Amino acid sequence: MTRFFRRLQYWMHRDRMDAELAEEMEFHRSMLADDGRPAAMGNRTLARENARGVWIWPWLESLWQDAVYALRTMRRQPGFTLTALAALGLAIGVNTSLFTIFNAIALRPWPVAEPSRVVTIDRFTREGGSDFGIAEYRYLAQNSKSFSGMIAMRNGERVKLGDRALPLTYVSGNYFAVLGIQMERGRGFVAQEDVTGAPAAVVVISHDLWENLLGGDPRVVGRTIRLDDVPFTVVGVTPADFISADPLRNLVWTPLAARQLLRPNDPSVEKWLAAADSCCTPIAGRLARGVTRRAAQAELAILVDRFREQNRMSRQNPRIVTAGTAWIESPRKKRQVVPTMVALFLAVTLVLLLACANVGNLLLARAAARRQEIAVRLSLGGSRMRLVRQLLVECMLLALAASALGLTMAMALPAAILERLAPDQIIHIAPDRNVLIYTMAVATLSCLAFGLAPALHGTRAGIAGALKGGAGAEGPTRRLSLRSALLAVQVAISVTLLVNAGLLVRGIQRAQRLDPGFDVRNTSVLSIDLPASQYTGPRTKQLTSALWAQLERSRDLPAAGLALNPPLSNATYSTSFQLTGRPGSPRLHIYANEISGGYADALGMRLLAGRNFVPEDAGRDVLIVNQAAAKRFWPGEDALGKTAVANARVRQIVGIISDTYTNDLTEIEAVIYFPATGSWGAPAVVVRDRGAATLDRIASLVKQMEPRAEIRAATLAASFDRKLQPSIYASELAGLLGLLALAIASVGMSGVFAYVVGQRTREIGVRMALGAQPSQIVRLVLGSSVHALAGGLVFGVAGAAGISALLVNALPGIHPLDVLAYSGVVLLLMAAVTVASAVPARRATRVDPVRALRWE
Amino acid sequence: MGKHEHQPLELLPGTLDLLILKIVARGAMHGYGIALMLKTASEDVLEVGESSLYPALQRLLLNGWVTAEWGASENNRRARFYTITAAGRKRLAVERADFERMVGAIQRVLQTT
Repeated sequence: MTRFFRRLQYWMHRDRMDAELAEEMEFHRSMLADDGRPAAMGNRTLARENARGVWIWPWLESLWQDAVYALRTMRRQPGFTLTALAALGLAIGVNTSLFTIFNAIALRPWPVAEPSRVVTIDRFTREGGSDFGIAEYRYLAQNSKSFSGMIAMRNGERVKLGDRALPLTYVSGNYFAVLGIQMERGRGFVAQEDVTGAPAAVVVISHDLWENLLGGDPRVVGRTIRLDDVPFTVVGVTPADFISADPLRNLVWTPLAARQLLRPNDPSVEKWLAAADSCCTPIAGRLARGVTRRAAQAELAILVDRFREQNRMSRQNPRIVTAGTAWIESPRKKRQVVPTMVALFLAVTLVLLLACANVGNLLLARAAARRQEIAVRLSLGGSRMRLVRQLLVECMLLALAASALGLTMAMALPAAILERLAPDQIIHIAPDRNVLIYTMAVATLSCLAFGLAPALHGTRAGIAGALKGGAGAEGPTRRLSLRSALLAVQVAISVTLLVNAGLLVRGIQRAQRLDPGFDVRNTSVLSIDLPASQYTGPRTKQLTSALWAQLERSRDLPAAGLALNPPLSNATYSTSFQLTGRPGSPRLHIYANEISGGYADALGMRLLAGRNFVPEDAGRDVLIVNQAAAKRFWPGEDALGKTAVANARVRQIVGIISDTYTNDLTEIEAVIYFPATGSWGAPAVVVRDRGAATLDRIASLVKQMEPRAEIRAATLAASFDRKLQPSIYASELAGLLGLLALAIASVGMSGVFAYVVGQRTREIGVRMALGAQPSQIVRLVLGSSVHALAGGLVFGVAGAAGISALLVNALPGIHPLDVLAYSGVVLLLMAAVTVASAVPARRATRVDPVRALRWE
Repeated sequence: MGKHEHQPLELLPGTLDLLILKIVARGAMHGYGIALMLKTASEDVLEVGESSLYPALQRLLLNGWVTAEWGASENNRRARFYTITAAGRKRLAVERADFERMVGAIQRVLQTT
């Protein structure tokens, strides 16, 4: 330790130390001279260096020298430095921002105490993966020894607080305790507050909610707030940075049992809470000390079967899987998200590669300009490795500075992106340690990518020829090959990104012109929200039939009808379905909807056979099927008049209507329609009009029957556009990245053209002296890069076609070989080349032949 | 005819430190004096150049086995004088013992084989 301090002291006074040593050795020599002995004592400089090397590790010192020299060089060439920093900084910034988002959503485990001990629990049986029922959960929680605590949570519906609708989460009473969340105010729930059948009306709110909606009331604990008009007492406020198990649902929590308070008239709630065979509630737990995941899994499997036995259910022999809480570890990840993520990462990595190629080209140009300096150093005995190392240190500094820029971007950009994508969520995104490590890794790899080749290339031994001076000392074509390759890479990447953007845009255009089977342009949907706490099943049915009758009676309204599930909503209903009269036909699940008689007209669908529903049908067992269903189940026959068992009753088919796209815009499914009874919920009104007058009339109609109903009107066109939203975002992103790529590549192109002009100034001078026209000169300059540009274009197009083939399944309407998109990009590229070559070309034509020739 | 003209021998690495410590243990000395003493005490067998001497001295400084101070030499020139420290004396004893053990071992091998 003391040695280190001595080294530090030496370092701080190193100049003085050096001078003292020099003086000391001078004294030695003078004494030698006095004694008449020759001072043949060896290399003085080496002695001094060795002496210094005792104190300061020589590699450290030379590294420091390299860094100082690099900084000086960069300061002397601000143009190069700024361009390189800008290109790299933007590319790294985009990369880091994407990783920040990915890290926050997918890589981080829950932000709880000791997150490595908390695991999610999934059950897999022959039918697939499933969650647990609440009664089942309570049994497991009580009897399991492997967990110090087990929790259950379920995403609830939106509840109204004041005039805002907030997503609610139902959690078990021990949720906050098991996760170890320190409340900012008040406390979490206790077990007694979550007893099935005896719920307590308590709620925990988030810090953001407390500040924004409750005005930061210092006496919020104990205050009563009304959720869906039901009074709840606030018992706690979570800390400001608590982003909960689901970063998109972190505002309001109530106990599981309290769902009965919010939905008192819904019989399914009681079933959900108490029945042994209910389902669909995810659970998790904190492993007890010293218990392995395997042991816990085995224990739970036994407990599950014991529970089923006690409740007279068949043995299941489930496979229990515990997994870390980071999304990426979940065994039932949504498979559709992964390709999107991969595509995004690919895109930003391409932009980074492009920036590296760009900077690499700039460095090559600079190395060429410093040919003489490098040649001199090499000839004086400098080691090539040392030179390469010095160039690499420059690159590393550049990469580090660009990373700093990139990290700064990553502080702001992710939040901006997420706000665009999900404007009503409060998500806390900030770079953390993982992001820092990722950025450092990216910077190092980029540095190697753009720095190594130019460094090796620029210090080749053959450079000795440069000492003779003069441009064009080496054949221009040979040195140009690496630069051309880098240029081709840049062009290829830009083309790929732009073509994909173009394909997406064309895909959106095509999707917007798509005929989904119903009239999108002229139709509106009015959704009816009834206060759930005061609406019972029978009352909803009453409202539905009254509404149907009213719509039927009104002669001066445009075509209007009821639907449980209006088109392009995000919900789907399905029910059991089985054909009659055919023994052995399987029981299936089929998409279903409830409609009234006016539905088909309102949407412009066609009645192909039979009739529409009439209000009396609400009491009968009748069905309408769409053409796809008719063709699938009664091929070659007339489905009209046939019967089938749907939702446990035998029903007769009275009508066949045309097909439509149900919810996504890619597939036509078989659908059956029941007459609208309101037994599954309040219907929406679909009307063939966009005018405000009609919508108001219908709204007031509904309000007359039920004053407390909340009506929301929207055009079907708006829902349609919302379905296309992911494609629109993707096209925006691809377009922006593509333009960024093209801009960087254009700067690179400009640099290459300028270089060529510089290289071949003499040749241009000669040609002009011999009477060449300016256009011929320009063609000469561009011609040298034509191979690179063409090659880049070809590779870019191939890459784009490949990537778009992957995207076809994810987004509707994409056609990988859309001619318009490709030709548009080619034109854009030609425009970029023209712009990039403008300045260098002009300079080429302005070359003074006399001066050029004189430089012999 | 004259003395056998031997080439000055290369010092075994690490022994230079030992010798310097022993020399300055007798009293403060400057670099030239140390080199001179080395030459004369070894009867011209050991000659150390400044490219070995001064790095060795710096090493001894780094490890705290000697301290250095500027002073006036015999002919009133400014010179740097090295003095052994307590830690240096300890080090000297250890290195000397190690060296003698090493030499003894080599001798035994040469005599018995």
